[in-house]
Amino acid sequence: MAAPEVLESDLPNAVALLKNLQEQVMAVTAQVQALTKKVQAKAYPTEKGLSLLEVKDQLLLMYLMDLSHLILDKASGGSLQGHPAVLRLVEIRTVLEKLRPLDQKLKYQIDKLVKTAVTGSLSESDPLRFKPHPSNMMSKLSSGDEEEDEAEEGQSGASGMKSGKGTAKKYVPPRLVPVHYDETEAEREKKRLERAKRRALSSSVIRELKEQYSDAPEEIRDARHPHVTRQSQEDQHRINYEESMMVRLSVSKREKGRRKRANVMSSQIHSLTHFSDISALTGGAPHLDEDQNSTKKRKKIAKKGQKKKGFRRRR
Amino acid sequence: MNNTVTIRTRKFMTTRRLQREQVVTDVLHPGKATVPKTEIWGTLAKMYKTTPNVIFVFGFRTHFGDGKTTGLGMIYDSLGHTKKDEPKHRLARHGLYEKTSRKQRKERTSRIKRVMGTAKASLVLAKGSQLEIGQQKE
Repeated sequence: MAAPEVLESDLPNAVALLKNLQEQVMAVTAQVQALTKKVQAKAYPTEKGLSLLEVKDQLLLMYLMDLSHLILDKASGGSLQGHPAVLRLVEIRTVLEKLRPLDQKLKYQIDKLVKTAVTGSLSESDPLRFKPHPSNMMSKLSSGDEEEDEAEEGQSGASGMKSGKGTAKKYVPPRLVPVHYDETEAEREKKRLERAKRRALSSSVIRELKEQYSDAPEEIRDARHPHVTRQSQEDQHRINYEESMMVRLSVSKREKGRRKRANVMSSQIHSLTHFSDISALTGGAPHLDEDQNSTKKRKKIAKKGQKKKGFRRRR
Repeated sequence: MNNTVTIRTRKFMTTRRLQREQVVTDVLHPGKATVPKTEIWGTLAKMYKTTPNVIFVFGFRTHFGDGKTTGLGMIYDSLGHTKKDEPKHRLARHGLYEKTSRKQRKERTSRIKRVMGTAKASLVLAKGSQLEIGQQKE
Protein backbone atom coordinates (compact mmCIF):
# COMPACT_ATOMS: atom_id res chain seq x y z
CA MET A 1 0.00 0.00 0.00
CA ALA A 2 1.14 3.51 -0.72
CA ALA A 3 -0.27 4.79 2.55
CA PRO A 4 2.87 6.28 4.15
CA GLU A 5 3.78 8.16 0.93
CA VAL A 6 0.26 9.55 0.61
CA LEU A 7 0.41 10.61 4.22
CA GLU A 8 3.74 12.34 3.73
CA SER A 9 2.59 14.35 0.73
CA ASP A 10 -0.62 15.27 2.48
CA LEU A 11 1.01 16.35 5.72
CA PRO A 12 1.98 19.95 4.83
CA ASN A 13 -1.46 20.51 3.27
CA ALA A 14 -3.17 19.21 6.34
CA VAL A 15 -1.09 21.41 8.64
CA ALA A 16 -1.83 24.48 6.55
CA LEU A 17 -5.54 23.68 6.53
CA LEU A 18 -5.61 23.19 10.27
CA LYS A 19 -3.93 26.55 10.84
CA ASN A 20 -6.45 28.15 8.49
CA LEU A 21 -9.26 26.48 10.41
CA GLN A 22 -7.96 27.80 13.70
CA GLU A 23 -7.79 31.38 12.43
CA GLN A 24 -11.25 31.18 10.96
CA VAL A 25 -12.72 29.73 14.14
CA MET A 26 -11.25 32.64 16.08
CA ALA A 27 -12.74 35.12 13.61
CA VAL A 28 -16.15 33.45 13.81
CA THR A 29 -16.18 33.46 17.61
CA ALA A 30 -15.24 37.13 17.61
CA GLN A 31 -18.12 37.92 15.29
CA VAL A 32 -20.61 35.86 17.28
CA GLN A 33 -19.56 37.57 20.47
CA ALA A 34 -19.97 40.98 18.88
CA LEU A 35 -23.46 40.00 17.71
CA THR A 36 -24.55 38.76 21.09
CA LYS A 37 -23.30 41.99 22.66
CA LYS A 38 -25.31 43.97 20.18
CA VAL A 39 -28.44 41.93 20.83
CA GLN A 40 -28.02 42.37 24.55
CA ALA A 41 -27.55 46.08 24.04
CA LYS A 42 -30.95 46.03 22.27
CA ALA A 43 -29.61 47.25 18.95
CA TYR A 44 -32.16 45.01 17.14
CA PRO A 45 -35.59 45.93 18.43
CA THR A 46 -38.24 43.31 17.67
CA GLU A 47 -41.26 44.57 19.56
CA LYS A 48 -43.04 45.33 16.32
CA GLY A 49 -42.12 41.96 14.92
CA LEU A 50 -39.88 41.04 12.05
CA SER A 51 -40.77 41.63 8.46
CA LEU A 52 -41.91 38.61 6.48
CA LEU A 53 -38.89 38.71 4.22
CA GLU A 54 -36.47 38.72 7.13
CA VAL A 55 -38.25 35.80 8.73
CA LYS A 56 -38.16 33.83 5.51
CA ASP A 57 -34.48 34.59 5.11
CA GLN A 58 -33.65 33.32 8.57
CA LEU A 59 -35.82 30.26 8.24
CA LEU A 60 -34.27 29.26 4.94
CA LEU A 61 -30.79 29.71 6.35
CA MET A 62 -31.63 27.57 9.34
CA TYR A 63 -33.09 24.97 7.05
CA LEU A 64 -29.89 24.85 5.07
CA MET A 65 -27.79 24.52 8.19
CA ASP A 66 -29.88 21.68 9.52
CA LEU A 67 -29.80 19.93 6.16
CA SER A 68 -26.05 20.15 5.93
CA HIS A 69 -25.79 18.86 9.48
CA LEU A 70 -27.89 15.86 8.51
CA ILE A 71 -25.87 15.23 5.36
CA LEU A 72 -22.69 15.34 7.39
CA ASP A 73 -24.02 12.82 9.87
CA LYS A 74 -25.32 10.52 7.19
CA ALA A 75 -22.09 10.75 5.19
CA SER A 76 -20.07 9.70 8.23
CA GLY A 77 -22.29 6.65 8.65
CA GLY A 78 -24.62 7.74 11.41
CA SER A 79 -28.33 6.96 11.44
CA LEU A 80 -31.05 9.58 11.20
CA GLN A 81 -33.34 7.85 13.66
CA GLY A 82 -34.58 10.37 16.21
CA HIS A 83 -32.03 12.92 15.13
CA PRO A 84 -32.91 16.32 16.62
CA ALA A 85 -32.09 18.06 13.35
CA VAL A 86 -34.94 16.17 11.68
CA LEU A 87 -37.42 17.61 14.15
CA ARG A 88 -36.07 21.07 13.59
CA LEU A 89 -36.33 20.62 9.87
CA VAL A 90 -39.93 19.51 10.13
CA GLU A 91 -40.75 22.52 12.27
CA ILE A 92 -39.12 24.97 9.87
CA ARG A 93 -40.84 23.34 6.94
CA THR A 94 -44.26 23.67 8.51
CA VAL A 95 -43.67 27.32 9.28
CA LEU A 96 -42.55 27.97 5.72
CA GLU A 97 -45.62 26.28 4.32
CA LYS A 98 -47.89 28.30 6.57
CA LEU A 99 -46.20 31.45 5.33
CA ARG A 100 -47.04 30.61 1.76
CA PRO A 101 -50.49 32.24 1.63
CA LEU A 102 -49.00 35.43 3.07
CA ASP A 103 -46.49 35.26 0.29
CA GLN A 104 -49.24 35.03 -2.26
CA LYS A 105 -50.91 38.09 -0.89
CA LEU A 106 -47.73 40.13 -1.04
CA LYS A 107 -46.68 38.76 -4.42
CA TYR A 108 -48.04 41.68 -6.40
CA GLN A 109 -46.29 44.34 -4.35
CA ILE A 110 -43.00 42.50 -4.19
CA ASP A 111 -43.00 41.87 -7.93
CA LYS A 112 -43.67 45.49 -8.61
CA LEU A 113 -40.89 46.67 -6.31
CA VAL A 114 -38.40 44.22 -7.72
CA LYS A 115 -39.23 45.20 -11.25
CA THR A 116 -38.87 48.89 -10.50
CA ALA A 117 -35.57 48.25 -8.79
CA VAL A 118 -34.27 46.25 -11.74
CA THR A 119 -35.46 48.30 -14.70
CA GLY A 120 -35.62 51.75 -13.13
CA SER A 121 -39.13 52.52 -14.32
CA LEU A 122 -42.11 50.68 -15.73
CA SER A 123 -43.20 50.74 -19.35
CA GLU A 124 -46.52 52.22 -20.37
CA SER A 125 -48.50 49.05 -21.07
CA ASP A 126 -47.14 47.15 -18.08
CA PRO A 127 -49.92 45.15 -16.43
CA LEU A 128 -48.40 45.95 -13.03
CA ARG A 129 -49.19 49.58 -13.52
CA PHE A 130 -52.96 49.40 -13.43
CA LYS A 131 -54.85 50.79 -10.51
CA PRO A 132 -58.60 50.88 -10.17
CA HIS A 133 -60.39 53.66 -12.00
CA PRO A 134 -63.90 54.14 -10.70
CA SER A 135 -64.63 56.50 -13.56
CA ASN A 136 -64.47 53.48 -15.83
CA MET A 137 -67.58 52.16 -14.14
CA MET A 138 -69.72 54.76 -15.90
CA SER A 139 -71.39 53.49 -18.99
CA LYS A 140 -69.81 54.76 -22.15
CA LEU A 141 -72.91 54.09 -24.23
CA SER A 142 -74.97 57.13 -23.30
CA SER A 143 -74.87 59.15 -26.52
CA GLY A 144 -75.76 62.50 -24.92
CA ASP A 145 -72.70 62.78 -22.66
CA GLU A 146 -70.10 61.28 -24.97
CA GLU A 147 -68.03 64.39 -25.18
CA GLU A 148 -68.04 64.94 -21.44
CA ASP A 149 -66.92 61.38 -20.84
CA GLU A 150 -64.05 61.74 -23.22
CA ALA A 151 -62.86 64.88 -21.54
CA GLU A 152 -62.95 63.19 -18.13
CA GLU A 153 -61.14 60.17 -19.43
CA GLY A 154 -58.43 62.35 -20.85
CA GLN A 155 -57.73 63.82 -17.43
CA SER A 156 -57.79 60.61 -15.41
CA GLY A 157 -56.14 58.37 -17.92
CA ALA A 158 -52.65 59.79 -17.45
CA SER A 159 -51.07 56.75 -15.85
CA GLY A 160 -53.73 54.17 -16.66
CA MET A 161 -54.73 52.14 -19.68
CA LYS A 162 -54.57 53.95 -22.96
CA SER A 163 -57.83 54.13 -24.85
CA GLY A 164 -56.08 52.72 -27.87
CA LYS A 165 -56.23 55.83 -29.98
CA GLY A 166 -52.73 56.37 -31.29
CA THR A 167 -50.85 53.15 -31.90
CA ALA A 168 -52.55 49.92 -32.95
CA LYS A 169 -52.42 47.80 -29.81
CA LYS A 170 -54.09 44.55 -28.84
CA TYR A 171 -57.63 45.20 -27.80
CA VAL A 172 -58.15 44.56 -24.09
CA PRO A 173 -61.84 44.73 -23.26
CA PRO A 174 -62.58 46.67 -20.10
CA ARG A 175 -63.79 44.28 -17.45
CA LEU A 176 -65.75 46.44 -15.09
CA VAL A 177 -67.87 48.44 -17.46
CA PRO A 178 -71.54 47.48 -17.29
CA VAL A 179 -72.95 46.02 -20.50
CA HIS A 180 -76.46 46.67 -21.73
CA TYR A 181 -78.78 43.66 -21.69
CA ASP A 182 -80.07 43.38 -25.18
CA GLU A 183 -81.76 40.02 -25.70
CA THR A 184 -84.65 40.41 -28.06
CA GLU A 185 -87.83 38.41 -28.09
CA ALA A 186 -86.62 36.47 -31.12
CA GLU A 187 -83.44 35.35 -29.37
CA ARG A 188 -85.42 34.24 -26.35
CA GLU A 189 -87.71 32.20 -28.56
CA LYS A 190 -84.74 30.56 -30.20
CA LYS A 191 -83.26 29.61 -26.85
CA ARG A 192 -86.52 28.16 -25.67
CA LEU A 193 -86.84 26.13 -28.83
CA GLU A 194 -83.35 24.75 -28.43
CA ARG A 195 -84.01 23.72 -24.89
CA ALA A 196 -87.26 22.03 -25.86
CA LYS A 197 -85.43 20.16 -28.62
CA ARG A 198 -82.82 18.89 -26.21
CA ARG A 199 -85.49 17.74 -23.80
CA ALA A 200 -87.40 16.03 -26.59
CA LEU A 201 -84.29 14.17 -27.75
CA SER A 202 -84.00 12.47 -24.38
CA SER A 203 -87.67 11.53 -24.10
CA SER A 204 -88.74 7.92 -24.02
CA VAL A 205 -90.31 7.93 -27.51
CA ILE A 206 -87.14 9.07 -29.22
CA ARG A 207 -85.01 6.75 -27.14
CA GLU A 208 -87.06 3.74 -28.14
CA LEU A 209 -86.81 4.72 -31.79
CA LYS A 210 -83.06 4.95 -31.43
CA GLU A 211 -82.90 1.54 -29.83
CA GLN A 212 -84.97 0.11 -32.61
CA TYR A 213 -82.71 1.34 -35.39
CA SER A 214 -79.31 1.11 -33.77
CA ASP A 215 -77.12 -1.99 -33.94
CA ALA A 216 -75.87 -1.72 -30.38
CA PRO A 217 -76.96 -4.45 -28.00
CA GLU A 218 -80.00 -3.71 -25.89
CA GLU A 219 -79.20 -2.51 -22.40
CA ILE A 220 -81.54 -3.23 -19.55
CA ARG A 221 -80.81 -0.87 -16.72
CA ASP A 222 -82.53 -0.37 -13.47
CA ALA A 223 -82.59 3.34 -14.00
CA ARG A 224 -84.93 5.53 -12.09
CA HIS A 225 -86.47 8.70 -13.30
CA PRO A 226 -83.91 11.55 -13.15
CA HIS A 227 -86.18 13.66 -10.93
CA VAL A 228 -86.45 10.81 -8.49
CA THR A 229 -82.71 10.25 -8.22
CA ARG A 230 -82.17 13.95 -7.65
CA GLN A 231 -84.79 14.08 -4.94
CA SER A 232 -83.48 10.97 -3.24
CA GLN A 233 -79.98 12.43 -3.27
CA GLU A 234 -81.25 15.61 -1.67
CA ASP A 235 -83.13 13.61 0.92
CA GLN A 236 -80.02 11.65 1.75
CA HIS A 237 -78.06 14.86 2.09
CA ARG A 238 -80.68 16.27 4.41
CA ILE A 239 -80.68 13.16 6.56
CA ASN A 240 -76.91 13.21 6.85
CA TYR A 241 -76.95 16.82 7.88
CA GLU A 242 -79.63 16.28 10.47
CA GLU A 243 -77.86 13.36 12.04
CA SER A 244 -74.48 15.01 12.19
CA MET A 245 -75.70 18.39 13.41
CA MET A 246 -78.27 16.95 15.80
CA VAL A 247 -81.06 19.21 14.58
CA ARG A 248 -84.29 18.67 12.71
CA LEU A 249 -84.74 20.92 9.70
CA SER A 250 -88.15 22.20 8.72
CA VAL A 251 -89.57 21.17 5.36
CA SER A 252 -91.05 23.91 3.25
CA LYS A 253 -94.17 23.51 1.16
CA ARG A 254 -92.14 23.39 -2.00
CA GLU A 255 -90.01 20.62 -0.63
CA LYS A 256 -93.07 18.66 0.37
CA GLY A 257 -94.50 19.10 -3.10
CA ARG A 258 -91.27 17.95 -4.70
CA ARG A 259 -91.12 14.88 -2.54
CA LYS A 260 -94.68 13.98 -3.34
CA ARG A 261 -94.04 14.37 -7.02
CA ALA A 262 -90.93 12.24 -6.76
CA ASN A 263 -92.96 9.52 -5.09
CA VAL A 264 -95.53 9.67 -7.83
CA MET A 265 -92.93 9.50 -10.55
CA SER A 266 -91.09 6.60 -9.05
CA SER A 267 -94.13 4.44 -9.69
CA GLN A 268 -93.46 2.89 -13.09
CA ILE A 269 -97.09 3.01 -14.08
CA HIS A 270 -96.82 6.73 -14.68
CA SER A 271 -94.37 6.29 -17.52
CA LEU A 272 -96.68 3.82 -19.26
CA THR A 273 -99.34 6.36 -20.02
CA HIS A 274 -97.58 9.73 -19.91
CA PHE A 275 -95.31 10.77 -22.74
CA SER A 276 -93.21 13.87 -22.87
CA ASP A 277 -93.71 16.52 -25.49
CA ILE A 278 -91.69 16.09 -28.70
CA SER A 279 -93.32 18.83 -30.72
CA ALA A 280 -89.99 20.68 -30.82
CA LEU A 281 -88.65 18.01 -33.15
CA THR A 282 -91.78 17.25 -35.13
CA GLY A 283 -92.72 20.89 -35.60
CA GLY A 284 -96.31 20.53 -34.48
CA ALA A 285 -98.12 22.52 -31.82
CA PRO A 286 -96.97 21.81 -28.25
CA HIS A 287 -99.42 19.43 -26.65
CA LEU A 288 -99.65 18.71 -22.96
CA ASP A 289 -101.09 15.97 -20.82
CA GLU A 290 -104.48 16.62 -19.34
CA ASP A 291 -103.23 16.64 -15.77
CA GLN A 292 -100.20 18.78 -16.47
CA ASN A 293 -100.57 22.53 -16.57
CA SER A 294 -98.61 24.70 -18.94
CA THR A 295 -96.23 27.15 -17.33
CA LYS A 296 -98.52 30.05 -18.12
CA LYS A 297 -101.47 28.41 -16.45
CA ARG A 298 -99.35 27.49 -13.43
CA LYS A 299 -98.21 31.08 -13.04
CA LYS A 300 -101.76 32.37 -13.28
CA ILE A 301 -102.96 29.99 -10.60
CA ALA A 302 -100.11 30.91 -8.30
CA LYS A 303 -100.65 34.61 -8.79
CA LYS A 304 -104.31 34.31 -7.96
CA GLY A 305 -103.47 32.76 -4.61
CA GLN A 306 -101.06 35.53 -3.73
CA LYS A 307 -103.35 38.38 -4.59
CA LYS A 308 -106.10 37.35 -2.23
CA LYS A 309 -104.53 37.70 1.19
CA GLY A 310 -101.99 40.40 0.60
CA PHE A 311 -98.41 39.30 0.55
CA ARG A 312 -98.11 35.67 1.40
CA ARG A 313 -94.54 34.42 1.50
CA ARG A 314 -94.08 31.22 -0.45
CA ARG A 315 -91.30 29.21 1.13
CA MET B 1 -94.13 -12.04 13.79
CA ASN B 2 -92.04 -10.94 16.70
CA ASN B 3 -93.79 -7.92 18.14
CA THR B 4 -91.05 -6.52 20.36
CA VAL B 5 -89.54 -3.09 20.20
CA THR B 6 -85.82 -2.85 19.41
CA ILE B 7 -83.78 0.25 20.01
CA ARG B 8 -80.45 0.66 18.28
CA THR B 9 -78.10 3.60 18.44
CA ARG B 10 -75.58 4.81 15.92
CA LYS B 11 -73.36 7.80 15.24
CA PHE B 12 -72.27 7.99 18.82
CA MET B 13 -70.27 11.13 19.54
CA THR B 14 -69.02 12.76 22.71
CA THR B 15 -69.22 16.53 22.87
CA ARG B 16 -66.90 17.34 25.74
CA ARG B 17 -67.59 21.04 25.69
CA LEU B 18 -71.22 20.42 26.51
CA GLN B 19 -70.56 17.42 28.75
CA ARG B 20 -72.76 15.05 26.87
CA GLU B 21 -72.90 12.30 24.34
CA GLN B 22 -75.14 12.43 21.33
CA VAL B 23 -76.59 9.49 19.46
CA VAL B 24 -78.94 8.77 16.63
CA THR B 25 -81.55 6.30 17.79
CA ASP B 26 -83.28 3.81 15.51
CA VAL B 27 -86.40 2.31 17.00
CA LEU B 28 -87.81 -0.76 15.30
CA HIS B 29 -91.45 -1.34 16.19
CA PRO B 30 -93.08 -3.54 13.58
CA GLY B 31 -96.85 -3.60 13.85
CA LYS B 32 -97.01 -1.04 16.64
CA ALA B 33 -97.49 2.68 16.95
CA THR B 34 -94.51 4.94 17.48
CA VAL B 35 -92.91 4.29 20.84
CA PRO B 36 -93.44 7.07 23.41
CA LYS B 37 -90.38 8.95 24.60
CA THR B 38 -90.68 7.84 28.23
CA GLU B 39 -90.07 4.24 27.20
CA ILE B 40 -87.12 5.24 25.13
CA TRP B 41 -85.62 7.07 28.11
CA GLY B 42 -85.83 3.89 30.14
CA THR B 43 -84.22 1.71 27.49
CA LEU B 44 -81.44 4.14 26.70
CA ALA B 45 -80.71 4.53 30.40
CA LYS B 46 -80.19 0.79 30.67
CA MET B 47 -77.99 0.75 27.57
CA TYR B 48 -75.75 3.54 28.78
CA LYS B 49 -76.01 2.71 32.46
CA THR B 50 -77.33 6.04 33.66
CA THR B 51 -80.58 7.34 35.08
CA PRO B 52 -83.42 8.25 32.75
CA ASN B 53 -83.50 11.86 33.81
CA VAL B 54 -80.27 12.76 32.03
CA ILE B 55 -81.48 11.40 28.70
CA PHE B 56 -83.16 13.73 26.24
CA VAL B 57 -84.54 12.50 22.93
CA PHE B 58 -86.29 14.48 20.25
CA GLY B 59 -87.10 14.67 16.58
CA PHE B 60 -88.62 11.26 16.02
CA ARG B 61 -89.67 10.65 12.43
CA THR B 62 -91.33 7.43 11.38
CA HIS B 63 -90.31 6.21 7.94
CA PHE B 64 -92.91 5.52 5.31
CA GLY B 65 -94.84 2.28 5.86
CA ASP B 66 -94.26 1.97 9.62
CA GLY B 67 -91.88 -0.15 11.45
CA LYS B 68 -88.91 2.13 11.87
CA THR B 69 -88.53 5.48 13.58
CA THR B 70 -85.36 7.54 13.72
CA GLY B 71 -84.68 10.15 16.35
CA LEU B 72 -81.87 12.12 17.92
CA GLY B 73 -80.78 11.86 21.53
CA MET B 74 -78.47 13.40 24.10
CA ILE B 75 -77.08 11.76 27.21
CA TYR B 76 -75.68 14.15 29.78
CA ASP B 77 -73.05 13.58 32.43
CA SER B 78 -75.15 14.90 35.25
CA LEU B 79 -78.34 16.74 36.05
CA GLY B 80 -76.48 20.00 36.60
CA HIS B 81 -75.16 19.91 33.06
CA THR B 82 -78.61 19.32 31.67
CA LYS B 83 -79.94 22.38 33.45
CA LYS B 84 -77.24 24.48 31.85
CA ASP B 85 -77.16 23.20 28.32
CA GLU B 86 -80.49 21.76 27.37
CA PRO B 87 -83.18 23.99 25.90
CA LYS B 88 -86.10 24.74 28.16
CA HIS B 89 -88.80 22.97 26.21
CA ARG B 90 -86.97 19.68 26.50
CA LEU B 91 -86.39 20.18 30.21
CA ALA B 92 -90.12 20.76 30.53
CA ARG B 93 -90.78 17.32 29.05
CA HIS B 94 -88.88 15.86 31.96
CA GLY B 95 -90.64 18.09 34.42
CA LEU B 96 -87.50 20.03 35.29
CA TYR B 97 -88.75 23.36 34.11
CA GLU B 98 -92.00 25.20 34.24
CA LYS B 99 -92.77 28.22 32.20
CA THR B 100 -94.47 31.17 33.81
CA SER B 101 -97.40 32.28 31.75
CA ARG B 102 -96.92 35.09 29.32
CA LYS B 103 -99.51 37.27 31.03
CA GLN B 104 -97.73 37.04 34.35
CA ARG B 105 -94.40 37.93 32.84
CA LYS B 106 -95.84 40.99 31.16
CA GLU B 107 -97.52 42.13 34.38
CA ARG B 108 -94.27 41.75 36.19
CA THR B 109 -92.33 43.86 33.72
CA SER B 110 -94.95 46.58 33.88
CA ARG B 111 -94.69 46.56 37.68
CA ILE B 112 -90.94 46.93 37.50
CA LYS B 113 -91.21 49.76 35.00
CA ARG B 114 -93.42 51.75 37.34
CA VAL B 115 -90.73 51.82 40.02
CA MET B 116 -87.44 53.74 39.81
CA GLY B 117 -84.00 53.00 41.17
CA THR B 118 -83.08 50.55 43.95
CA ALA B 119 -86.70 49.58 44.48
CA LYS B 120 -86.46 47.69 41.20
CA ALA B 121 -84.08 45.18 42.76
CA SER B 122 -86.67 43.95 45.24
CA LEU B 123 -89.22 43.44 42.49
CA VAL B 124 -86.79 41.58 40.21
CA LEU B 125 -86.34 38.84 42.77
CA ALA B 126 -90.00 38.80 43.75
CA LYS B 127 -92.32 35.85 43.34
CA GLY B 128 -93.37 34.76 39.91
CA SER B 129 -90.03 35.24 38.21
CA GLN B 130 -88.89 32.51 35.84
CA LEU B 131 -85.45 32.66 37.39
CA GLU B 132 -86.79 31.68 40.77
CA ILE B 133 -88.72 28.64 39.67
CA GLY B 134 -85.78 27.29 37.72
CA GLN B 135 -83.57 27.70 40.75
CA GLN B 136 -86.05 26.06 43.08
CA LYS B 137 -86.05 22.83 41.21
CA GLU B 138 -82.29 22.39 41.45
